[in-house]
Amino acid sequence: MDKLKEILSKILEIDKNKINDQSSPDNIESWDSFNHLLIISEIEKELGVQIDIGEVGEIRNFGDIKRAVLKKLKNE
Amino acid sequence: MNNLKDNILFTQLNRTIDYFNKYKQIRQELKKNRAPYDKKIKIAVLSSFTIKGLKEVLFVKCAELGILSEFYIADYNQYSQEILNIKSKLYEFNPDLIILFVDIQDLMGKYYFEFYQLSEHQRNKLINEKLTLMKKLIYKLTENSSAKIILNNFKIPSFSPFGILENKQKAGFIENIQKLNFDITKEFKNNSQVFIFDYDCFCGKFGKDNVVDYKLYYLGDIKLNLDYLPQLCDCYLSYIKPLISLTRKCIVLDLDNTLWGGIIGEDGIEGIHLGPTPEGRPFLEFQKYLLSLFNRGVILAINSNNNLNDALAVFKKHPYMVLKEEHFATMKINWNDKISNMKNIAQEINIGLDSIVFFDDDKFNREIIKDALPEVLVIDLPSDTSLYLKTLMQINDFNILQITDEDKRKGKIYADQRRRETLKESIVDITKYLKTLEMIVTIKKADFFNIPRISQLTMKTNQFNMTTRRYSEEKIKEFSVDKNYLVVSVKVEDKFGDNGISGVVIIKKKKAEWNIDTFLLSCRIIGRKVDEILLDYIIDQAKKAKIKAIVGEFIPTKKNLSNRGFYKNNHFVLAKKEKNREIWKYDTNLEYSAPDFIKVVKK
Repeated sequence: MDKLKEILSKILEIDKNKINDQSSPDNIESWDSFNHLLIISEIEKELGVQIDIGEVGEIRNFGDIKRAVLKKLKNE
Repeated sequence: MNNLKDNILFTQLNRTIDYFNKYKQIRQELKKNRAPYDKKIKIAVLSSFTIKGLKEVLFVKCAELGILSEFYIADYNQYSQEILNIKSKLYEFNPDLIILFVDIQDLMGKYYFEFYQLSEHQRNKLINEKLTLMKKLIYKLTENSSAKIILNNFKIPSFSPFGILENKQKAGFIENIQKLNFDITKEFKNNSQVFIFDYDCFCGKFGKDNVVDYKLYYLGDIKLNLDYLPQLCDCYLSYIKPLISLTRKCIVLDLDNTLWGGIIGEDGIEGIHLGPTPEGRPFLEFQKYLLSLFNRGVILAINSNNNLNDALAVFKKHPYMVLKEEHFATMKINWNDKISNMKNIAQEINIGLDSIVFFDDDKFNREIIKDALPEVLVIDLPSDTSLYLKTLMQINDFNILQITDEDKRKGKIYADQRRRETLKESIVDITKYLKTLEMIVTIKKADFFNIPRISQLTMKTNQFNMTTRRYSEEKIKEFSVDKNYLVVSVKVEDKFGDNGISGVVIIKKKKAEWNIDTFLLSCRIIGRKVDEILLDYIIDQAKKAKIKAIVGEFIPTKKNLSNRGFYKNNHFVLAKKEKNREIWKYDTNLEYSAPDFIKVVKK
C-alpha cells in the first residue's frame, strides 16, 4: 500500500505520511477531478490492475482506493 | 541556456505525469528567477473537448528550449464563440500561435453514429456544411489575428457499421471524413499563416486503438490518451521552433559506424558495412534519408578522426556510397580534436553552433561536444544501428514555416561554396579570383515569384543589412505595386552554381531624391562586388529619372557594424549623424564605376 501512497503523494504533491484512509477530495485541496483521473490511471499502470469504470464512480477516499485495488489483486 | 540546463534537469522526462511535476517545479523556480528564458511565445489552444494536460507538457517542452510560454486555453467547446466574437479573450490575449483542435465526433454531433440514417444527398450536404464551417472559422481567425494557426485535421474513424462494405457505400462515412481532411488541406495549401497538422497520421503512427483511453474519455471527456501528450507536443514544437527562429540548418556527421558500419582504417573499403545486406542497409538508408534532407536544403558536413585518403576513397570508390563529396559544405577529416573541428565547421560555413545537429556513434565524442559546445544539438545515436534511420526521421529541428527555392537548394549552395573557397585559396589576388568565377548578376523587380524570398531576406539578414528593416510578404507586395517604391531582388550565379536570390534593394522615390530604404546582401555573397553592381544599378535608374541625389541610411546594430563603411567607401558623403542613424548622400552627377567582369542582366 506504500506504492499507492507514493502515487498519490506524487500527483497531489502532499507528504506521503499524511495520507490516510479518510484522505479525500474534500480534505485535500489539490485532489481535483483531473487529478482524480490521473490517480486512477497511474495506479492502473504502476500496479498493472484495471479498475472498472463502475468502481471508479464509487471511490470517495483513499480507503476506497485501497479496497478496490486489493480486491483486484486478490482476484488475480 | 547554460544557466537553464544547470538549474533544471530535463532528463528522465518520459511520462506525462513527469511533465506535470516538472511543470509545477519550473513554475516555482520562475518566481525566483526568470533569467534563463530569452525567448517567449504566447499560445492559444481552442478545442472541442477537455484538453487538460496539453498546457503543462507543452510548457515544459518549451522551457527545455529556453522558451517561456504563456497559454490561453479556451473554455470547453467554446471555440466557435471565441473565434467569431472579435472582442473575445482569445483576441485580447494576442497569441503568436493558435492551435485549433476539433474532435471529429464533436464536429459531427449525433451523426457520428447516425450518419447512415441520412440520405446520400443529406450526407454530402452535411459534410459540405462542416467544411464550410471550418473554413469560415479559420478565415475569421486569419482576419483577426496575425498568429500562425495550426489546425489538427480529423481522425478518420476505424469502425463502420458496414464493416467490410464501408467503402462500397455511396457518400460513405469514412470517405467523407477523408474528403473533409483533403479539402481543408487543399484550401490552405498556399496559405502561409495556416498549417494543417495531420492528426490522423499522428493517431495512425501510435495506433488508433491506443490513442483513446476509453475510461478517461467517459470519465473526463479526455479524447487523447494522456500518455501521448508528449508526442503530440513534439509535433507542435515542429511549428514553434521555426516560429521562434530555432531552426537548425546543418547536420555534422562522423564517418566510421555512422555513415557506414565498421572502421575504414582497419576494415578497409571491402570490409565496411554499406549496401544491400542486413548490416549494410541501415547505413544505406540512413544515407538516403540524409540525401533527401540535403535536397530539401539541409547543409551537410563531416567531423571525423580518420586518415583523409582512407575516407575519401570510400566516397570516390564504394559502389553503395549514396553521399558524395559534392554534398558536403565542408569535410573535416583529420586527427584534430572534434571540438576544434566543430568550431571550424561553423566558422567556415558561417553558421552559428546553434544551427548544428551532430551525429556520432561514439558516446565519448558526443559527451565532449555536449560539454564544450552546448549550443550544438547532439543526437544520442542508439547502439543498435537498425534504429539510426528512425532516430534521424524523428528530428524536428529542420522545419521552416515557408520554403523558397533558395531554401531547397541551400545544401547545394553551401557545397558549391566549398569548391569556390578551394579556388580562392589557390588564387591570392581577389579580383583575379572573382574574374575566374564568371559571375552573372540578375536584377529583377519584385513580382509574384520573388516576393516571398525578398520578404524572407529582410526578415533574416543581419550582417550586410544597412537598415535591418523587417518586412512581411504583404508589405513587400504593397511596395511592389506602389509607384513611389522600387523593389528589386538580385540573383547571383557563377561557374560553380546558382546562389539564388541573395540580395534586396528597396528604394523610396521622392520628388528630388531617392532614399535607399533597404540595402542587404546574404552573407554568402559578401565580398563579391555584388554590392557595387547594385549601387551602379540604383544610380543609373536615378539618373534616368533625372534625380539629383541618392540618400543612403545606416542604422547600426550589433551585427552589421563590419559593413558600416559601405556608403563612405562608395563615395557617399555624410549628411547627418544621429545617435542611432547615419544619413549619407550621393550626388548623381558623380560617375560611378562598377566592376566590368560581372555580367549584369536586368529584368
